[in-house]
Amino acid sequence: MTKIVVVTSGKGGVGKTTTSASFATGLAMRGLKTCVIDFDVGLRNLDLIMGVERRVVYDLINVVNEEIKLTQALIKDKQLDKLYILAASQTRDKDALKQEGVERVLEELKAMEFDYIICDSPAGIETGALMAMHYADEALVVTNPEVSSVRDSDRILGMLSSKTKRAIEGGEPVKEHLLITRYNPNRVEGGQMLSLDDIHEILRTPLIGVIPESESVLQASNQGTPAIHLADTDVAEAYKDVVARFLGEDKPMRFTEAVKPSWFKRVFGGK
Amino acid sequence: MGESDTTRDGGGRRAAARASAFELKSRRFSLLGLVLHSADMAELAADWAQRAGAGGFEHEPVVIDLSLLTRAAAPAAGQAPLALDGPAPVDLKAIVALLRASQLQPVAVAGATADELAVAQALGLADAADEPAMERGTAAAPAAAVREVVREVVVEKLVERPAAPVPALIVDKPLRSGQQVYAKGGDLVVLAVVSHGAEVIADGSIHVYAPLRGKAIAGARGDTSARIYTQSLEAELLAVAGIYRTAENPLPADVAGKPAQVYLDGEKLLLQPLQS
Repeated sequence: MTKIVVVTSGKGGVGKTTTSASFATGLAMRGLKTCVIDFDVGLRNLDLIMGVERRVVYDLINVVNEEIKLTQALIKDKQLDKLYILAASQTRDKDALKQEGVERVLEELKAMEFDYIICDSPAGIETGALMAMHYADEALVVTNPEVSSVRDSDRILGMLSSKTKRAIEGGEPVKEHLLITRYNPNRVEGGQMLSLDDIHEILRTPLIGVIPESESVLQASNQGTPAIHLADTDVAEAYKDVVARFLGEDKPMRFTEAVKPSWFKRVFGGK
Repeated sequence: MGESDTTRDGGGRRAAARASAFELKSRRFSLLGLVLHSADMAELAADWAQRAGAGGFEHEPVVIDLSLLTRAAAPAAGQAPLALDGPAPVDLKAIVALLRASQLQPVAVAGATADELAVAQALGLADAADEPAMERGTAAAPAAAVREVVREVVVEKLVERPAAPVPALIVDKPLRSGQQVYAKGGDLVVLAVVSHGAEVIADGSIHVYAPLRGKAIAGARGDTSARIYTQSLEAELLAVAGIYRTAENPLPADVAGKPAQVYLDGEKLLLQPLQS
């Protein structure tokens, strides 16, 4: 049974695409057949982060408009044979996303026996974002530890519970998971960032993981590698935990405590 | 419980719109209604002079109600109306003059035909389309029986009717930013958090068994006895029957983030901690 998961946030720049890439990759690393779709029509980011930019010939809009077959647009990942990418179009706008077309694409993917379809939502609350969430079974709501991002996530959580297919048809509600990215425990201690407790108090949505703020995320996107592939980094470990928790495994939260610089570092400085 | 399918009533608007120069609102007024039973101007004028000519009016607005008037059946094409003593067309101009002479201010016509309406509009009268005398249950009056002018003073009184209690609207999911719930005619009970940017509105009282962070508008149709209860008062806006308070004015320490109730004492909104 295929599960559709939307990665959404409301606010831009909080790490939706980074999360979509790493989450989809993480599922595929577990041997699950996964497709990640870029709904950010007109901008196109996912293919860059997934490192398939040069292999994009056809995109989601071509498939939605029935110009080509779905299989022609699916890009197979070079490292993981269970991972497929469906890129967004840079030359169209979000109005080109027709609901029936999107539904047909998702149905075709289901028929191809994908385990997971990850929908990378654009920022905002307009057509693109609504399309990305409409058919979702579960949602990863990406939030940064700051007030405006948390407020926008609250808005998105409201839309998940009222504007999605499940909500409209009165079925079981979309299962919501809160993912906090760019978390910096030291800055939380300093009062510059909201703490996990603050965020939970406002949103009251189950937390699926905390991704620490890290330089390596930027490095990964510049290289066109999903951050989860970066060996021995906190970010990769944190994303692997997220995937594990999503699949029902019990993992304690990591990277949430402030780390005091060691005596050695304090004396001699350095990194 | 969508965001767009809820309506909101005066209370909230009144609270929000004080800064603007005007508001356009639906209002009901009691007006005098002149219900005509005859279109015969001579008869009308005579009867008016006898019964109402003395005046004593103070330029009160009056609606000319034509709905009980028997009119000539529309003549068939090319045929002049035959009945010589049949109902004459209403001379609105003369009626307006008659009323003005008695210090009344005609403002509208009710139950007018399209032709009459055109005349009325030329005379500066509005069309009071709804609720002509006909619909108020005077249908029993035989159309042709009484041929006299009746000055009917319509006094609209609010009749207290023991209304069937409206069951409270119960919401068990979090109300997120941008969502709005309106409990029409009754109380609203919310069992989960009301986020910043969410709005809970009720014609009755509002009960939130979780933190109330958004806007709460109780007594939206003017019920001054409505109250707001919450387990943790953190609201952005509190309003009861149009009297409101925003978070610009910080909540007192004894209620902020604590179980509290909000109610009206005259024109003043009181915030009181709930003892448990």
